[in-house]
Amino acid sequence: MRKVISRYATSGGARIAYQTVGNGSLDVVLVPGFPSNIEILWEDPGFGHLVKRLAAFCRLILLDPRGMGLSDGIDSRNPPDARGRAADILAVMDAAGSGRAALIGASDGAAAAMLAAAMWPSRCRALVLHGGYACFLASVMDAKALQAFASATEGAWGTGATLARLAPRRAADRALVGWWGRLERLSASPTAAAALVGMWGALDVRDSLPSIAVPALVLHRTGDAHVPVESSRALARGIPGARLVELPGEEHPIWMGDVDAAADAIEQFLTGEKPVAHGDRMLAALLVLRVLGMSSGAGRTVPGRHLGERMELFRDALPPVVARHGGHARWTRPDQAHARFPAAARAASCAVALRETAASLGLWVAQGIHVGEIDPSPEDLSGPVLDVADRIAARGSGPEILLSRLASELVSGSGLQFVDRGALAGIDCRAPLPLVAIASERHLEPRSRTAPRAANLDALTPREREVLALVADGLSNPHIAVDLGLSEHTVKRHVANILLKLDLPSRAAVAGLAARRDAP
Amino acid sequence: MLTTSTPVTGDAIKQAIENRDGRTLASFYADHAVTRIIDRNNPPSRPKEIRGRGAIASFWDDICSRMMTHHVDITLADGDRMAFSQACTYPDGAKVFCIALLRLEDGMIAEQTVVQAWDE
Repeated sequence: MRKVISRYATSGGARIAYQTVGNGSLDVVLVPGFPSNIEILWEDPGFGHLVKRLAAFCRLILLDPRGMGLSDGIDSRNPPDARGRAADILAVMDAAGSGRAALIGASDGAAAAMLAAAMWPSRCRALVLHGGYACFLASVMDAKALQAFASATEGAWGTGATLARLAPRRAADRALVGWWGRLERLSASPTAAAALVGMWGALDVRDSLPSIAVPALVLHRTGDAHVPVESSRALARGIPGARLVELPGEEHPIWMGDVDAAADAIEQFLTGEKPVAHGDRMLAALLVLRVLGMSSGAGRTVPGRHLGERMELFRDALPPVVARHGGHARWTRPDQAHARFPAAARAASCAVALRETAASLGLWVAQGIHVGEIDPSPEDLSGPVLDVADRIAARGSGPEILLSRLASELVSGSGLQFVDRGALAGIDCRAPLPLVAIASERHLEPRSRTAPRAANLDALTPREREVLALVADGLSNPHIAVDLGLSEHTVKRHVANILLKLDLPSRAAVAGLAARRDAP
Repeated sequence: MLTTSTPVTGDAIKQAIENRDGRTLASFYADHAVTRIIDRNNPPSRPKEIRGRGAIASFWDDICSRMMTHHVDITLADGDRMAFSQACTYPDGAKVFCIALLRLEDGMIAEQTVVQAWDE
């Protein structure tokens, strides 16, 4: 994809940041909700996926609403109204060279998009609303609650606290909360954030709904945590000819949760064609990790009440370890994490690293790895590959790392060794799935690297055995030469012959061999 | 059915495209015309197909509503077959290049295949 460049449009003296992505025949403007920063949002896999889906059939124009992200700030004593925000959309379209575009208004961006569609129908090809409302105070919360929320927002701004309001189910994901805090900080200052939230109270475009004459699609997730679905039902009743589609899910931001469901509906509405299966399923290695409790060693010495503390540390430690191995992880339960990796070897080496991290905290973990095609949807992993990985992890009693043999066969060349661990019973008439465990280093070494060779000392001459004994004592060639009354050159020849006959790589190996033979 | 007062010639296509005249462009197509577009997002085994003059008119409306420049450099005609190349530039400087092959029926475009690429 071409490097996305942020540019600035001018709207009534203010600069509004925008980006264009994709080369489809129609233009689509995405008017986002709160908070927004079009450069930071790209870091979120869900946002990237939504943009990819939309930009596959259109030229997508992304913008930061006035007061947020890269756009100019607002005067908190004289904030812009919905009309001003609608004019900003038009200014961005002008700057991007778009004469006519479909507008997608998400969350509080919906009011501005509706107003733009009502005011400039010739510039609006179609209207899509997601999680929107015409009047905040009538649909979302009353003035008192809004004031409390604005004040709480200002107080906790930059900590990621607003995530709990917009997508509560995701608020347990500490890595996401951390990133959300960054998004907050880079989208507005605390004062500006409180002013923006306060502005919602003034949003009321209900009078404009009947004059929207362009085709409209109203999308809303039924469990939306921030804006009740009834709000969009009212929009669909108010906008002539609007089509309402209720989607499952509770995440308020359009780019979180089931992004594909929203993208499918939008693509079908704007192109008239049912989206074909994306065909971009990808091969991935999935790792399921379960914390079983404290390891027995730790259990004897550390009181059980420390388990929670250790778990907290481990929950924080896991995502960076997975990221270092090129993966993406989420805690799906307090004691269970799912991670996906682009290759099985990365999953396996990450599992080893996670086991060490867990062990350092005195925790006992079971891990299972399987490979297969998955839906690249960045949110919750699901599907048969995950189910199998889950069953493999359930089979483990820790600290062994279990893999399907299929996964282990993709790891060849990584240096990892495996031992058979039976098979997982097949389901749905499938054959049992053979399992292996990653062999620990302790088991590995005797087998592969320093396994005692069937060294035959009988092949050595008496003089060579004398030299061998002195080499094993750690003497250097000049010392051996003096001890045995030989020239140094001759000693070198003897040592070379010993290495050759015993097929050993070095003097140290010779010494090791002699030491093992002398051992009781 | 729209009536066309302009015969479908290389010059007429060049004029309409360069002037972003979507209405005239749409009038060049037969009612049952099919436009196939092949590009990075629409690979040869799954080209984007736009069927019927109504849908094609909407396609050209979208293209022509953009404040971008179009240059039709080469037009060729051989009986009921035509071809032209088109170089376009977005306001931000990004370029698109496409080659179109046309088959005419009764002087109207019945089939069009567009192969296009753009700055990545």
